[in-house]
Amino acid sequence: MRYLRLYGHFFTAQLKVMMEYRLDFLVGVFSVVLIQFTSVFFVKVVFDQIQSLNGWSFYEVLFIYGIASTGRSIHHIFFDNLWTIGWQYIRNGEFDRFLIRPVNPLFHVIANRVQQDGFGQLAIGLILLLTAISHLSIVWTVGKVLLLIVMILSSGAVFVAVNLFFATLSFWMVDSLPIVVGVFQVAEFARYPLTIFSKEIRGLLTWVIPYGFTAFYPASAFIEHSGYQSVALLTPVVAVVSCWIAYWFWGKGLRAYTSTGS
Amino acid sequence: MIDVQNLSKQYQIAKRDPGLAGAVKSLFSRKYETKQAVQDISFQIQKGEMVGYIGANGAGKSTTIKMLSGILTPSSGVVRVNGIVPYENRRRNASQIGAVFGQRTQLFWDIPIRESYHLLKHIYQVPETEFQQRLEMFTDVLDLGPLLGIPVRQMSLGQKMRAELAAAFLHNPAVVFLDEPTIGLDVAVKDRIRAFIREMNRQQETTVILTTHDMQDIEEICNRIIIIDGGKILYDGALQAIKERFGDKRTIHFDLEKNDGFTIPYALATRVEQVVSHREAAGKSNSISLSFNNAEITAAEVISEMMQAYTIRDLTIDEVHIEQIVKDIYERGL
Ligand SMILES: Nc1ncnc2c1ncn2[C@@H]1O[C@H](COP(=O)(O)OP(=O)(O)OP(=O)(O)O)[C@@H](O)[C@H]1O
Ligand SMILES: [Mg+2]
Repeated sequence: MRYLRLYGHFFTAQLKVMMEYRLDFLVGVFSVVLIQFTSVFFVKVVFDQIQSLNGWSFYEVLFIYGIASTGRSIHHIFFDNLWTIGWQYIRNGEFDRFLIRPVNPLFHVIANRVQQDGFGQLAIGLILLLTAISHLSIVWTVGKVLLLIVMILSSGAVFVAVNLFFATLSFWMVDSLPIVVGVFQVAEFARYPLTIFSKEIRGLLTWVIPYGFTAFYPASAFIEHSGYQSVALLTPVVAVVSCWIAYWFWGKGLRAYTSTGS
Repeated sequence: MIDVQNLSKQYQIAKRDPGLAGAVKSLFSRKYETKQAVQDISFQIQKGEMVGYIGANGAGKSTTIKMLSGILTPSSGVVRVNGIVPYENRRRNASQIGAVFGQRTQLFWDIPIRESYHLLKHIYQVPETEFQQRLEMFTDVLDLGPLLGIPVRQMSLGQKMRAELAAAFLHNPAVVFLDEPTIGLDVAVKDRIRAFIREMNRQQETTVILTTHDMQDIEEICNRIIIIDGGKILYDGALQAIKERFGDKRTIHFDLEKNDGFTIPYALATRVEQVVSHREAAGKSNSISLSFNNAEITAAEVISEMMQAYTIRDLTIDEVHIEQIVKDIYERGL
């Protein structure tokens, strides 16, 4: 509770700064929308050639995309600082200051940045979701709406967990950013029905880097012919477990922190 | 207030193969090189003391302070700050200490410092009225008024350092660690900062540990010094005592009418020694510098003897500088 309120204070302080640089805000949001739009456009072009992708229709794939984008936006807006933990704080010893504050250092790092561009991601995610839903014949009940929200939050949590895990490597190496970026690229695969991939890749995206749970599996819960409706329900569990593992690893990293000489 | 016993810190410097592969490999197995930064030091500091922690570059000052503030875990030994073990109970320790690391900022880079202070208020859970009172007083003493609306990013070094100092004291910590708080500042800002530290100590009995390379800081703020060298404590005691022990050496520079064939007056000959100071080196050939021990002969006697023997245009007496004392200890030991 205290952390929630504290986050609120961090958030408003940064919002004020953002509002001062309105142009930056708009440009940031717009560029993200543009990037996301191009990748959706690519899917559209593909579906103009084929009727379905491994049994998945265009709007079903769009639905997967929508969950991925919305989930990703949670990470993008609130947890963006994880990306640069290495060179922004650890490598230069700036991390010291989080250790002499009476709050959880991970919370502090995360609260220290609100990424405005993420709102573009959120907007595109919601647009995709709504577009897809309006073309799909899912019967929406209150339960399903709640389930969708839980799924999207879990998707965001999985993104956060994976990034946190790899960003933690910064405690031992000079900069983990290349690895974090590399791993994040893998998430691109996870925006398609996993059934189109080989067994190995599917296994990788399910059990090793669980990006499958950021889009495909949660979406499957709502698609009857997906064949993964029960696996889909594991999504929140996977999210919690991955966060736990990542946080445990972070704790190990924290203990290895040795600051810098000056 | 602060209790340090047999404290040591070694840094493990990982040697690894270059490149990404080396980095990944080093996660699993690595070779270490050990660097002993602090070696078996012990001291106690009472509430309200202001202690200068001094030593050459690389002596281990910052390392000690990081262990006291909970940033680093000691390799061995015990630290207690106000009864709390900092590295075990980091968050609890954090709420009772304040810190300024001269090279870094504790404030938020992009946010105007007024907002930064408000955030710190929430982080440290400072009651609103206390916060307002303190901020008002700090604004006054540190002259922060014109700065409150701008972020650290846009500040000069001196402005930033004043802002930092206020941030460190905002939650009225029992102990404040100041690691080179005056580095790179002009005389006026240094003065203001020193006055502020003294004022806080007077009002709140804040315990202060200060590292610096500026001996003026020490002389004006501290009543006790701890000298550290190569990770070990060389001296721990009153500033006055070490000044008396080493600081009896005085030098007087005389500017003579003419100095061809200068010899030390007979009455002084055994107790005074002529030294070459930077003035003669700079080519002011009419200058003579005499060095003597204050315990054997007073400055007044030296001056009076000199005035009888020569025509003196001007003279200056060198003040005792702890800088010189520290150098002497470094070079010759206690
Ligand atoms: N993070 C670190 N990793 C490895 N070695 C370190 C680290 N920090 C300091 N050292 C080493 O430990 C020794 C003590 O360093 P420290 O920073 O405590 O010195 P210092 O007294 O603060 O010096 P200065 O006056 O230059 O700030 C130095 O030899 C330094 O090279
Ligand atoms: Mg230092």
